[in-house]
Amino acid sequence: MNAVVLRVATGLAQLDRDGVVYVASLPGGPITVLEGTAASIWVQASGHGRAEVVEGLAEELGLEISEIEGDVEAFIDTLLERGLLVEERPDPRSV
Amino acid sequence: MESNAEVQVPLAVRLRFGRAALQVVADEIGADVLHIKGDAADPSLRPGEPSGTDVDILVRPAHVAMLDRAIRVRGWRVYSTFVYGSPFGHAQTYLHDAWGYLDLHRWFPGIRVPPDVAFERLWANRQMADFAGIEGRVPGLAAQATLLVLNAARGARSGADLALSWTEASAEHRIEVERLVDDLDAHVAFAAATGDLELYREERDYRLWKVLSEGGTRSEEWWARVRSAPSIGEAVRIAARAPLVNVEHLAIKLGRAPTRWEVVAAFFARPLRAAVEAADWLRAPRHRRRRTR
Repeated sequence: MNAVVLRVATGLAQLDRDGVVYVASLPGGPITVLEGTAASIWVQASGHGRAEVVEGLAEELGLEISEIEGDVEAFIDTLLERGLLVEERPDPRSV
Repeated sequence: MESNAEVQVPLAVRLRFGRAALQVVADEIGADVLHIKGDAADPSLRPGEPSGTDVDILVRPAHVAMLDRAIRVRGWRVYSTFVYGSPFGHAQTYLHDAWGYLDLHRWFPGIRVPPDVAFERLWANRQMADFAGIEGRVPGLAAQATLLVLNAARGARSGADLALSWTEASAEHRIEVERLVDDLDAHVAFAAATGDLELYREERDYRLWKVLSEGGTRSEEWWARVRSAPSIGEAVRIAARAPLVNVEHLAIKLGRAPTRWEVVAAFFARPLRAAVEAADWLRAPRHRRRRTR
């Protein structure tokens, strides 16, 4: 059984300017601005599972997983609701 | 989490996304589009960060109508039309709530070969460019430089474009640009930018580029446009257009749709302005008149 991973949605434009990430669904928008830890989560999300993102961010911030897990999960849900990220199961033939 | 949706987006980012959004629509319908000027120009041809306030694209003439229809249903609103938006009738401006202004060019001022021929010439040497992760197409480097010089002929930008695209460019680059100017029959406008316009005094569009590059009254510019028309039919069309009130500009100036009476008032004000300019011209010393005629 392959774990579910996060992917950047197709048809999405993104730019990284000085650590601030701008993302938008095309062609209609709007632009979403991701700064600080939000940008870190975005950068780490693609190709990884939720647990890996939480672990990576906890390590980056020097915090316990339990301290940030709820907020990170909630933020990932927001990105999924906005259609900026999708969850998918990797194709076993490509593994 | 510091997720701030739709706040403080730099204009440069907004425009880059605008190019990406436009390209997505163009790809959907199979329209050929070249991204030009501003941030689409190669960094070697532009001084510092791009300072444009809109997105400029050149569209294959046969694809203009379908792209126009496609972007209108995807959130771009016409801000000013080909007829009123640009003195040459070459571009139409749109406004999108998320992406800002878009100038859709169906041809480029200064190029005298037919628009479809010009586009094909530029398209043949196109290059790929990345716009916020979306792949688009830009003219080749020499073509980009040529368009920037032609644009500079209208006084649209400072001399920096001219320096990087022409005066300070390598000999090889200048040869490529000259070849393209030949192919596009763009000698007169190009010379207006590079200071060689007097070599083309006998050309029909000499006066137009004289006024555009050095300045002149509205009446002088209008007459120059009529004289520069490639055919009598086109000259008549330009002349017939002149007395019309630019309702779009009037609406922008007023901040609302003009009333019927305001349009009528503007209609009568135009000949008056032209008459005042004509009187000023007649009163001017002869040497100054000759300079601008």
